[in-house]
Amino acid sequence: MQSLSASSTAGVLLDLSGAAILLLAFACLASKLFNRYVAYYGAQSVVLAFAAGTSAVAFHSAELWILAALTLVIKGLAIPFAARRVLVGQLALKRDAAMSTGLSTSLLAGGALTAFAYLVTRPALLPHGTAAAAVVPLSTAVILLGALAMVVRRHTVAQLIGWLIVENGVFLGAITLVATFPFIVEAGIFLDIVAGVLIMVVFVSGLTRQLAEASATELRELRG
Amino acid sequence: MTTLAILTVLAPLVGPAVALAGVRARASALAQAGGAAVALGCAIALLTTLAGGRPLQGWDGFLYADSLSGFFLLTVAGVTLLAALGSISYIAAQEDSGELGAFQVKLYFTFFGLFAALMLASLETGNLGLLFVLVEGSTLASAALVGLEGRARSLEAAWKYVIISSLGVTIALAGTLFVFYSASALHPSSNLALTWPYLLAHAPALAPQSLRLGFLLAVVGYGTKVGLAPMHTWLPDAHAEAPSPASAMLSAALLNVGMYAIIRFLAIAHARLGGTYPRAVLLSFGFASIVIGALFMVRKGNFKRLFAYSSVEHMGIIAVALGFGGILGLYGALLQVLSHALAKSVLFLASGDVSLRFKTREAAGVSGLLAAVPVTGGALLLATFAVLGSPPFGVFLSELTIVRAGFARGSPIFPLLLLALLGVAFFAFARTITAMVTGGPPEPAPASPYRDRAAVAVTAAPLILGLAALLVLGLWIPAGLDAVLRQSVAVIG
Repeated sequence: MQSLSASSTAGVLLDLSGAAILLLAFACLASKLFNRYVAYYGAQSVVLAFAAGTSAVAFHSAELWILAALTLVIKGLAIPFAARRVLVGQLALKRDAAMSTGLSTSLLAGGALTAFAYLVTRPALLPHGTAAAAVVPLSTAVILLGALAMVVRRHTVAQLIGWLIVENGVFLGAITLVATFPFIVEAGIFLDIVAGVLIMVVFVSGLTRQLAEASATELRELRG
Repeated sequence: MTTLAILTVLAPLVGPAVALAGVRARASALAQAGGAAVALGCAIALLTTLAGGRPLQGWDGFLYADSLSGFFLLTVAGVTLLAALGSISYIAAQEDSGELGAFQVKLYFTFFGLFAALMLASLETGNLGLLFVLVEGSTLASAALVGLEGRARSLEAAWKYVIISSLGVTIALAGTLFVFYSASALHPSSNLALTWPYLLAHAPALAPQSLRLGFLLAVVGYGTKVGLAPMHTWLPDAHAEAPSPASAMLSAALLNVGMYAIIRFLAIAHARLGGTYPRAVLLSFGFASIVIGALFMVRKGNFKRLFAYSSVEHMGIIAVALGFGGILGLYGALLQVLSHALAKSVLFLASGDVSLRFKTREAAGVSGLLAAVPVTGGALLLATFAVLGSPPFGVFLSELTIVRAGFARGSPIFPLLLLALLGVAFFAFARTITAMVTGGPPEPAPASPYRDRAAVAVTAAPLILGLAALLVLGLWIPAGLDAVLRQSVAVIG
């Protein structure tokens, strides 16, 4: 298990992907429209799949290719499209303005968390000159931003996608820090994510239906 | 041995198989209990073979079991059996009254079996990555149980549970990543590096900084599942809204699985970083949990929430015991795991009977239990004193051991603080339960929710079994169990 140097082509590409993933996490945090929030998450996953592909070339690993493909198909395409069709379409979630803090406050908090991520992961933890030293602070920041999105967003679907952003951050760390977990573990993680999304969607639609029924009852009681 | 290990995991899946075949609740629950009994038998058999000291290893480290795993397997399988026995009348009564539809009954047994199997499997793996996968899987299976009743409240609790726990476990995955990375100087093959026996054996070569970060993240992450404060916020809601046998599984089995994961990380961190840092982490989270648990127990209200906060408190006590360390502290922690699991199973199963009869989960709505339902009322009262650490039950012995471990460490401040907090918890908890148990029964007496007398008798079975085991643990620790506990302590170091 060799470590990637930061100046190699793969190292530079990973670094750039990491920066793009962080920017897209900020975009998620800042977007007011639900459609865009989901679209930014999808774009982030596509970049992550590219990063996994880069890592696969650098480490000559067939398993990483499979993971890159899985990332692209499941996280990049299937989850965002399903989220848009099922949730935005059927549940009629057009806007997602529900944040418990103001937009600028949450962006400032995001900036502070990014600085914190650099502070924690930089000194003495990672050897200088490796790709990991550049990317791990980025992935830590993405984890923190995902968690922040879960905290400030009021809507359940937005919280769900916040969790997926955290997962993306962990995955980015995994492919640069240690090349990969054993394949069976990575496959299990994917299975967990898919099962998790499914079960959460069931809860969300159940909650939405319950709330709709509750408000309808109130309307009926005001008759006469 | 491998066959035994596999059988332990697969046996609880009998319930789902039978339920999916379209059998009604009572028969499915009987099958589930049969499966759980087989699992418990296999766990005991596995434990006796492991007691020789040689761990079971296979499949590149994906399969690994030693005395510590065996001890937790025994606990989880035992709780599963009690909860499955408790499900027989509880779910059948809910099916008869129409509160649960046929589809919901199917869902219940499917996820109950899956939940048990995933927890047992997570105790049998040496691979820290696979541990994450299985623990997250058990979160998802149990979330379905929490949301089973489909009311807005239970869906909200299930949502809160699944989103907080998933985030927590993902943080634990990030911690696993850093622990994995700390081993990169060893240049191991990737499968081996993630197995914890390998990491423990090569602890001196691990990079301390990233191990330190990894341990902290793992404690925060798996601590979310354990219900350590301040990551405990999902716990009271989920425990209160789940069907009672499922609450027993959550409190007495799932929390312990999270604690098991923390213990594995603790062993590695202890071997490399020495005692000070891991001890400080565990004592902080532990005392925070005891304080939060004890204070929230003072408030009267939903009795299942009361039990849930008591779980937060007890997990805190176990974390403190691990923080005290030493042979005494670790021994006490493990004994506390087992005795708390038994006492809490009895409490939640008894609460299931109470909530079915009185149609409320509010303590204020219940009185005169001893007069109205003597067996359940008596079990509730006895289990209450057991869980609060009264002699002659198991929790008394384990808490005494833990306090002694605290004094043995030198500074008397921590054990004295622990005793004071236990006093607060005792007062708060006992106050609510005695009010429920004593007094005259309500007029008119609540109708029996069960079909016949046999069903009533079946509700008593897990209560009596659990209390009997708890009493045995308080009076005398069987030599075999003592040997297992000592070996497990040696594993942790």
